[in-house]
Amino acid sequence: MRSRWKLSTPLVAIAVALVIVTVGSASTARHNSSTALLRVATTAGVTTWDPIKSFSTEVLYMANIYEPLVYANPPGSSKPFRAGLATNWGRSKDGKTWTFTLRQGVKFHNGERLTAQAVKDSIDTAAKRGGASFIWSPLASVTTPNDYTVVFNLSYAAPMTLIAASENGAWIVCPEALKAAAADPAYFESGKACGTGPYKLKSYSSGKQVVLEQNKDYWGGWTDKQFSNVVFQITPEAIVQQQALQSGQVDIAGTVPVENIAKLGKDSRFRVTRDASSLNYLGFFNTTRPPLDNVLVRRALAYAIPYKDIVTVGAGGYGTQSRSAVPKGVFPYSDSTPQFTQNLTKAKALLAQAGHKGGGFSLDLTYAAENSAEGRFAPLIKDAFKKIGVTVNIKSLLFNQQWTLAKADPKAAQDIFLLLYWPTYSDAGSDNLWSLFHSSKKPFFNLSYMKSPLYDKLVDGAGELTATDKKGAQATYEKAMVSLHGAAAGFYLYDADAVFVSSRSVKTDGALNINYPFVQFIYPMQQVG
Amino acid sequence: MLHFLRRRLLASLLTLFGITTITFALARVVPSDPAVVYIGPLARPAEIARVTKELGLDRPLYEQYVSYLGNLFQGDWGTSLATKQPVLGGIAARLPATLELILLAMTLAVAVGIPLGVFAAYRKGHLPDAGARVGSVVGISMPVFWLGLLLQVLFAEWLQLLPAIGRLSLETEVLDPITKITGFYLIDSLVTGDWAGFRDAASHLVLPTITLAAYPAALITRMTRAAMLDVLGQDYVRTARTFGLSERLVLWRLALRNAMPTTLTVSGLSLAYLVTGSFFVEIVFNWPGIGQYSTSALLNLDYPAIMGITLLGATVFLVINLAVDLLQAKLDPRVRLQ
Repeated sequence: MRSRWKLSTPLVAIAVALVIVTVGSASTARHNSSTALLRVATTAGVTTWDPIKSFSTEVLYMANIYEPLVYANPPGSSKPFRAGLATNWGRSKDGKTWTFTLRQGVKFHNGERLTAQAVKDSIDTAAKRGGASFIWSPLASVTTPNDYTVVFNLSYAAPMTLIAASENGAWIVCPEALKAAAADPAYFESGKACGTGPYKLKSYSSGKQVVLEQNKDYWGGWTDKQFSNVVFQITPEAIVQQQALQSGQVDIAGTVPVENIAKLGKDSRFRVTRDASSLNYLGFFNTTRPPLDNVLVRRALAYAIPYKDIVTVGAGGYGTQSRSAVPKGVFPYSDSTPQFTQNLTKAKALLAQAGHKGGGFSLDLTYAAENSAEGRFAPLIKDAFKKIGVTVNIKSLLFNQQWTLAKADPKAAQDIFLLLYWPTYSDAGSDNLWSLFHSSKKPFFNLSYMKSPLYDKLVDGAGELTATDKKGAQATYEKAMVSLHGAAAGFYLYDADAVFVSSRSVKTDGALNINYPFVQFIYPMQQVG
Repeated sequence: MLHFLRRRLLASLLTLFGITTITFALARVVPSDPAVVYIGPLARPAEIARVTKELGLDRPLYEQYVSYLGNLFQGDWGTSLATKQPVLGGIAARLPATLELILLAMTLAVAVGIPLGVFAAYRKGHLPDAGARVGSVVGISMPVFWLGLLLQVLFAEWLQLLPAIGRLSLETEVLDPITKITGFYLIDSLVTGDWAGFRDAASHLVLPTITLAAYPAALITRMTRAAMLDVLGQDYVRTARTFGLSERLVLWRLALRNAMPTTLTVSGLSLAYLVTGSFFVEIVFNWPGIGQYSTSALLNLDYPAIMGITLLGATVFLVINLAVDLLQAKLDPRVRLQ
């Protein structure tokens, strides 16, 4: 009775469609041979296109579109700075007047000329409403004696070259866009940009893609090997970036899982580019309540931390144990700053000396849930503390929550706070050492809540010297770091390297600079072959 | 019918109001500073205070809520703290990508699930039935992100047959983009006769569609099989066979029509699942849709965007439920809309 079963037509149709599409994709793959287009997978979202307000991950794009007056060179360079939009610079003896001579013949992307007035407008606006306006606090006024000279008059001595080379808040913007943004605060947000840099913003699709194209009038000129178009594919997940790189869909993966970097480096198709960065992982002890108000307990815990394992697990080995809150390669880093290393015997002895023999207390540790490195190494701290009898309760919170709770009431806050920090500009004395441990009425980034008049005096004194007596400033900061080590208000885990993986078809020399930790400079990159 | 519709619409509006209120309250009691989300994590107190004032975050919470509702009625869903773009515009820009994926996945799930379910029931106890049952267990139990990664490794990395991520190759997007009309790349490329664009878009859809369709296809297969087994055991089916009706007619016209209410309910639920399931798929395949937008909003505690997504999600669920109820009534005379 039963008739023979026939497969339904939809199944056949789907099978046919799959074949067609698969064949089609092969032709698409053949299409992937454009040499002028650089394809980059990145985690960097855009929180604003306003270069004045910008103070987040969009700096990756800003740094390829806009330029500062000067660039800070990496350590080991013959000179600390190189010319950006200024070709010469100098300061008065008291460090309160800084003069910059501008590069001539530079045009903004809209065709406007770079003049001293344009620089003054940008700096004045950044000082007034910038996301990082605080970097311009020393600035009293900007004057323009002629079209190519800008004079910064300061209310107190400050290292203006370092400030002018900042990764945030120091971009020079075309006057027309500044005027438009003054009239309409949302002017930039649909994806507008107007700088002098090597690339122009061609298009922006929010949360998805940023496309840059060559600025043909760029003062630095172009060679045939450089990339004329760059597409940044915003790809939040590291493993997805890796898949895209391995399947040939992108040329550069800005972030791949750290545990896979070494394997990719051994693959002849890929190149691993690595350099030091100013990203510094540290932890704070809450010094306001027992048992962490006892310096002996804090020192004991600092000795219990497995620093080497943390570098291995957190950074996949792409990092260096920190000596303090100052990352290696950034002023005022010093190799002579004392450093904790794991020593459980000493940790137990210190605990006993503090009246906590065998531990017996528990601590709450918070870390930022969106930071995968912290998620990997926080359990190592818990395990290590368990060995000296201290229980750790790990709490994973979004950074904004973690920080809001930590700032609210130190007495009710966490015991241990893990933080990833970096200086806004390359002065980790006035930034990291001041921001992270200088006392303040209300907690902000000093989440150890330490109040040390001696430390404050040293850091304040060093800050005043930086512009006029850098060696003196270095010596004073070193004393401050020794004092910080003694107080053990925090523990310093590692300085993370900047690492990205690219196809061998891209030469990446000059792409990284420790002073610009979130940036891959595209202009120096070249096609191979 | 009209009375039913009026009641349901009123109830839906009340539900949406309740959801909006609860979400607003929850988003704002979470310890987080929206001004920090807006300006960036390293901003100093003076800058944060300035932004707090600019955004009106220093006003009492009820005032902010009333203002939010007022704007909502005028079609202004607020501005994302993280992207500085209007929330409605952000959602509208991503919706076509998600809808294209969901509709294709649903089509695939139904096209595979119903015939397989019918076939398995027809060949109960034989190899095809066992295969369908094992397949549906695998489809239901395998995590969607895991399946996605497996397919990527196999088809994109090893075989290099299909792309791993995105909606289009970057070359097409930058050098030869598809003309956007509806935002559905398959339709737009077909309408404009852009065959290269069509092939590119279709090849990018294969892996995420299969990944997203796996669970609903498995579920529909199982439920259709169960419903068909029940129907095929009924007297009227035996009678139809006795009268010499062709097996095809018995299966597809008579039995399946009576098994459809169950399948339809499951399909409706599956569609709702696809809305949330697409979040994972979009992350794994870097698909620029609502899922990515939602993930980013949640991780940034971007409350205007979270509110917008919640409102959209709730509306979609309410509409799907209503549509399923109406279809049930149409297909099954025993169901009365009251």
